Amino acid sequence: MSGITNQTDIKIKAPGFGGLQSKKRTKMIFDIVSFTCIVIISALVLLPIYWIFRSSLMGSLDIFLWPPSFLPMGTINPVEWQWENYIIRPTSYDFWRYLGNSLTISVPCVIFGTSTAISCGYAFARLQFRGKRFLFALCVGSMLMPAAVTLVPLYMAWTAIGVVDSYLPLILPFLCGGGAFNIFLLRQFIRTIPKELDEAAKIDGAGYFRTLVSIIVPSIKSAIIVVSLLIFITTWNDLLQQLIYIHSRENYTMVLGLTAFFGTFKADFAGMFAATMLTIIPCLTIYILGQRYFVEGIVMTGMKN
Amino acid sequence: MKKSDKPPKSNMVIKEQRAAYVFLIPAFLGLSLITYLPLLAALFVGFTDLTIGHMVRGEAPQFVGLKNFIDIFTNPSIDFFNSILVTVYFALFAVVSSVVYSMFIAILLNRRIPGRAFFRAVFYVPYILPAVATIISWSFLLRFEGGLINYFLVNMGFDRVHFLSSAETVVPSLVMIAVWACGNLIVIFLAGLQNVPRTYMEAAEVDGANFWQRFWKITIPCMTPIIFFNMLMSLVVNLQIVVPALAVTSGGPGKSTMFMTYLMYHYGPRSGQYATASAIAFLFFMIAAILAAVLFITSKNWIFYEGGDDK
Repeated sequence: MSGITNQTDIKIKAPGFGGLQSKKRTKMIFDIVSFTCIVIISALVLLPIYWIFRSSLMGSLDIFLWPPSFLPMGTINPVEWQWENYIIRPTSYDFWRYLGNSLTISVPCVIFGTSTAISCGYAFARLQFRGKRFLFALCVGSMLMPAAVTLVPLYMAWTAIGVVDSYLPLILPFLCGGGAFNIFLLRQFIRTIPKELDEAAKIDGAGYFRTLVSIIVPSIKSAIIVVSLLIFITTWNDLLQQLIYIHSRENYTMVLGLTAFFGTFKADFAGMFAATMLTIIPCLTIYILGQRYFVEGIVMTGMKN
Repeated sequence: MKKSDKPPKSNMVIKEQRAAYVFLIPAFLGLSLITYLPLLAALFVGFTDLTIGHMVRGEAPQFVGLKNFIDIFTNPSIDFFNSILVTVYFALFAVVSSVVYSMFIAILLNRRIPGRAFFRAVFYVPYILPAVATIISWSFLLRFEGGLINYFLVNMGFDRVHFLSSAETVVPSLVMIAVWACGNLIVIFLAGLQNVPRTYMEAAEVDGANFWQRFWKITIPCMTPIIFFNMLMSLVVNLQIVVPALAVTSGGPGKSTMFMTYLMYHYGPRSGQYATASAIAFLFFMIAAILAAVLFITSKNWIFYEGGDDK
């Protein structure tokens, strides 16, 4: 922060020829300060993730050593990395089953949620119809509605229908639009595509559906990836809903399995950390694969309007 | 949807309308069935004595008027006042801290620094990870005995802090974790910063405005709509905080993390007192609506709309 005050001093007496050089210098100081800040803060941001990794390779007792060792080594098992922590009994944490279950929920949610969000975003971005402003307000307004409000009524409804302890209460809502924020994001993206493309397609005799599929969808690929990833992450990480709708152990998802393990484990801290590491790996993988689109994609929309 | 009001509409227009409604069917089915209708249901059930027993036996619930709403305030075992206080305290604290933090990070990430794409990606990581996994890691980092953060504090000459295990520090600790995870706000701020017109900046620079002047007179005013959007989104998310209570604190120590969503979970799905839980849900909605309304009303005084046209 001290760099900033220096910079103001210099700037005030800046005009003229000599100013140009000092201006360059202050800009450089500024860049160095920002870069240092970013490096330090991002190290802190990654620390809890690293901590999972570190603790998953240690002996259970070494995790609590004082002073804490920064590398995965301890006094009881020095140097050796305990990869065998990752051999977790399926009765504690059944990785492959939970992975399959989580995918069974998230994949249909992504497919249905994204496609319905595209169709809705397209209508709002391109088509003229009566009540558009009102419907759009209703849609965007629902972003302000905390989903937790609907938790109890929806639970009662699903109980009454008798589908609790299945994945239907978690998947079916995604047949319906995939969330207001995603609709809004896609609408913003579609609006940046030149309208002439639509009109050209129309002259060629394409209907609205054809235009959507063959003109719009290919040109908003990065937005579609962003929305798919957002839906994937939302459904994958949604502990509360999974907790209330999934009861049998064989239906547990990754986060539910981890919560149960954390709630019941006795002294197997290392195994618990290994399970935590296994829980975050699928998310990290998906994110690293789509990361290029993810951050840049949202940045590029220009969340204007 | 009647199609003949003023001028007779052409076939094309009617066709377009029809297509639009077809495209909108799934989303509005969802909005009505899983958003707006349940809200009304919560209000309705809140006035009855519905419990899981009624549903099992197939009996009709009785109307009991305001009984549930009075109950949740007067019954000390529910202690809804405490729940409102801790939730609103957490939410406001988290909103302000995460908006300030994410704005700061976004400004840094918007500069031409080496490895910018990498760092941008890093700050989003906490947001995409399962909250359960990260809260577990944090709960170990913040341990009183053997936690790394307390080790740092001791080395810097401070006393150790109880963090998640004492009623005074648990909410600020959870705020810190929420701030840590707010990568989504950073990304939206980054998007906003790209739209700050370069011409303004250049003009100000020519006029000799220094960094602080440019920041306060150009960046911030141009960003006010985005700041508003982020505050609103952050408010809605943080009011619903529940995962730390579900996974680690179970509402404690004491009742310091009895957040409203946790209370709903406890009385609804977990113990089957649907009427009580519905009353809580509806009041939760009212509180969220009031806070959002306050934000909306005050925003008129500080949001700067470029060119003066409304959105």
